[in-house]
Amino acid sequence: MLPTVTVDDQKCADPLSCRKCLLICPTHVLGLGTDVPIKKFRETDPEHFIVRGVRVDKCTGCLDCVKVCPQNAIQVSFSGGGAR
Amino acid sequence: MCEWCEKYGDGYERWYFNPANYARRLYKIRKEEAEALGAEADPQAAGGMAFVGHDFLEARERGDVATVEQIKQQVEGISWITHFGQVLTLEEALKIVDIMYPIGLMTCACRRSMQGLPDEENFTCMGMGTGMYKWERWPDTYRGGVHFLTPDESKEVLAKLNKRGLVHTVFTFGTPYLAGLCNCDYPDCSAIRTVVDLGIRVLWKGHYVAKIDPELCNGCASCVHRCQFRALSFSPSKNKAIIDQFQCFGCGLCATECDQDAITLVERANLPALANVW
Repeated sequence: MLPTVTVDDQKCADPLSCRKCLLICPTHVLGLGTDVPIKKFRETDPEHFIVRGVRVDKCTGCLDCVKVCPQNAIQVSFSGGGAR
Repeated sequence: MCEWCEKYGDGYERWYFNPANYARRLYKIRKEEAEALGAEADPQAAGGMAFVGHDFLEARERGDVATVEQIKQQVEGISWITHFGQVLTLEEALKIVDIMYPIGLMTCACRRSMQGLPDEENFTCMGMGTGMYKWERWPDTYRGGVHFLTPDESKEVLAKLNKRGLVHTVFTFGTPYLAGLCNCDYPDCSAIRTVVDLGIRVLWKGHYVAKIDPELCNGCASCVHRCQFRALSFSPSKNKAIIDQFQCFGCGLCATECDQDAITLVERANLPALANVW
C-alpha cells in the first residue's frame, strides 16, 4: 500500500541544513529537491529547498520522519488506515 | 559488445575509450528561451533526483503491468538519449582520466538530494571536459566549487573512493557525450536505486562479470559488504561468498577487496547467457 507523504513547506523552512528526516528514514523514502529551476550565476536560496516523499513504495509507515521533524511539518497517511 | 560500443565505439574497445565521445561543441550561444525551457524541463530538480514519478509507483502497486512497462520504456528512452550511465571497473576509470581533460572534483547531486549532505563532505563526483570551465555559471550545480585535478590526482581520488566502496560509473549528458565520472553507492545514487529497486535501466551493467574461485575463497566475507547491486551474498553452508552473476554489474569492488585474489572479472561477452544482459 502506498502512503501519502505531505510536507508543509511553510513550516519546513530550511531542510538542507536540518535534514533530520532525510537521515532518519530507514528505507530512504524522502528526497530533497527544489521548487524552482536552477538559475545562472546564483545558488538556490534555502527556502526553495523542499522535502518530498519520493520513493514511497519503500515507506513502511514507521512515522520516524513525522516524530523527528522539529517543525511538525510531515504527515504520512495510508488510505487504508493504520498510520496517521 | 554493448549497444553503445557498437554505436559510438568507432573502433575503440569500449565506447568510453573513444575520445570523440568526450568532445562536444560547447561554446555555442544559447537562446534565453531554450535555456529557460531546459531548466523548467528538469524533473529531477523538483523530484529529489528521481527518474520516475508517483504514476509509475502507483501503476506498479495496482499491478498494472502495461502501464508499468509503458512508463519504463518511456523513461529509459529519454534517459538513453539525455542522461544515463554505465558501470566501470577501477582500471577502466583510471584509463579514462588519461583520455580526458580537464577533470574537476565536485559535489554529488544525488547524495545532496538523499541526505542533504554538506558539500564539503560530498566531493565524490568528477565532471569531465571543457564544460567544466563553465562551472561558475551554475553555482547551484557546483555548490562548494570545483577542485580541478591533474590526471595523477584523479587516479589517487579514484583509488581512495574505490577503497571506500564506491562504484565507478560514467554518465552521458546528451548521449554519447560523456561528462560525468561518478562514484556511487546504494541507496544514495539515484541511478543505482532506480535500476536495482525498479528495474529501469538508467544505469547499464559493465563489460565484466565477477567470478569466485571456490578453491581460493577462504570465507572471510570481507567482499560481501562491497556489493551495491545485491549480487553478492554469503553461504554459511559452503562457508564461501557467492555471486549471482545475472545480477552482477561488473564493478569489481568485491575483487579489489579480496586479499586471497579469489574473485576475478571475466568478460561478459564470453558468457553466452550474459552477453546481452545489461
